[in-house]
Amino acid sequence: MNERELTARVKAGDEAAERALYDAHVDRVYWVAYRMSGRHDLAQDFTQDVFIRAFERIDDFRGDAPFGAWLHAITMSVVLNGLRKVKRFDQREAVLEEAAMVTSRTRESEPDLKERLAQAIDALPEGCRVTFLMHDVEGFTHEEIGAALGTTAGTSKAQLSRARAKLRIALADFAGDWIQ
Amino acid sequence: MTDDHTNDQPNDAIQDERIRSLAAGHYNAPDGSVPREAMWAQVAAARRAARSGVAPIESVAPAVTQAEVSPDVVPLDSRRRTRTIVAWRWSAAVAAGLLLAFALGRKVGDGSSTTSPRPQQVAQGSTSPSTQNPSTPARIDPPAGSPEGSTGSPAPNGTPASKGPRQQVAVARPSSESSTPDASTEVASLDTAASALYRAAAVQTLVQAEAVLTAYRGAASTTRDPEAMQQAARWARDVLSSTRLLIDSPAGRDPQMRALFTDLELVLAQIVQLSGTPLQASERELIDRAMRDRDLLPRLRSAVPAGSATS
Repeated sequence: MNERELTARVKAGDEAAERALYDAHVDRVYWVAYRMSGRHDLAQDFTQDVFIRAFERIDDFRGDAPFGAWLHAITMSVVLNGLRKVKRFDQREAVLEEAAMVTSRTRESEPDLKERLAQAIDALPEGCRVTFLMHDVEGFTHEEIGAALGTTAGTSKAQLSRARAKLRIALADFAGDWIQ
Repeated sequence: MTDDHTNDQPNDAIQDERIRSLAAGHYNAPDGSVPREAMWAQVAAARRAARSGVAPIESVAPAVTQAEVSPDVVPLDSRRRTRTIVAWRWSAAVAAGLLLAFALGRKVGDGSSTTSPRPQQVAQGSTSPSTQNPSTPARIDPPAGSPEGSTGSPAPNGTPASKGPRQQVAVARPSSESSTPDASTEVASLDTAASALYRAAAVQTLVQAEAVLTAYRGAASTTRDPEAMQQAARWARDVLSSTRLLIDSPAGRDPQMRALFTDLELVLAQIVQLSGTPLQASERELIDRAMRDRDLLPRLRSAVPAGSATS
């Protein structure tokens, strides 16, 4: 059974068809959510929310585009909005955690490239980080990113350019090895 | 992915490609397995709740606008409002059912108190003397509510009659009223109607409770959004009110149902009390343990007849 038939059956209220669509796309949705959030618990919540919303709004899926593309648009919207809420909450806790860490912080050994990369990506402004991950890692187009973020493709390109520049600076210590 | 380097230095393109490759391979890269079944359980529960007309709790992610997603997607706001209205209608229907059931119950229950004075009125002269037997005044002038009075004759050996209040109603009517042929039938039919209403109210409350607890578990798994938790608390409060009414209703006479209602009341009360602010891990564990130790969700699901959630 192809996806068009599956979506038609989901629209008719067939739970088995919902499960089939879920099985076909859940891995991709989950790992995108994990990539963006870095937390399995959030990835799980976001994934659930994506499918609940998708099935609720299945009547709005016209079938002009592949179901996967429609689902991933919802995925990005759910993940980004969810991350904004989580970030607001985390900022309130960060002050207390930072105060506790100041006294216990010790001199650490130089982190390796992977750690430095992760730190550099995490340190990017949120718009740059999301755009970099969506475009360079997950393969979304600038148009798709603009639609998901509520901006334009041009803004997405600018954010990506800034993100790459910041990452190059942050990882400049390793640049010599890469170019050789 | 390399189509955005027209203005960059050649070395930048090499670095960018290396960074991209490293990020794809190592930054929050997939590890372990996807918890498919656990997530599907939540999705399926939410879908069941949606089909039953109960609004799910707003999750971590807020509604998105059409512009934010794609031309294929329409905003959820209007649907969410509609579901909220439907949820209120369900709540109102359950409340109305409970009130009607209580009213019927009171009518039936009051039968014992309204019928017992009637023999007194008879004794005080409302009946013509010709219908009275002067040799047996004690039979028609008993103490109000005494078992003997309701049967018209003393119980053997002075033991109170073992009949329930409704049975007393059926036999306590004086002969002038018992001439109405449908008196006991009417009471019995009222009793049956009340029981059916209580059962329907109980089922609806249990369906809502299952949806609340399922949605709470989903919302509490992140405990990041105070608004979502406050909404859970409001929803739980509505169901808690119905549950408390049902505990003291005939629906709570069944020991199994009473135990289920009591456990449900405890967990809902915890959610109501603790969900006003972001949950601490210990608080969430308290609620989770209460649900787990009492097997609350499985018991709720088994107590609800198949098809009730979608009817």
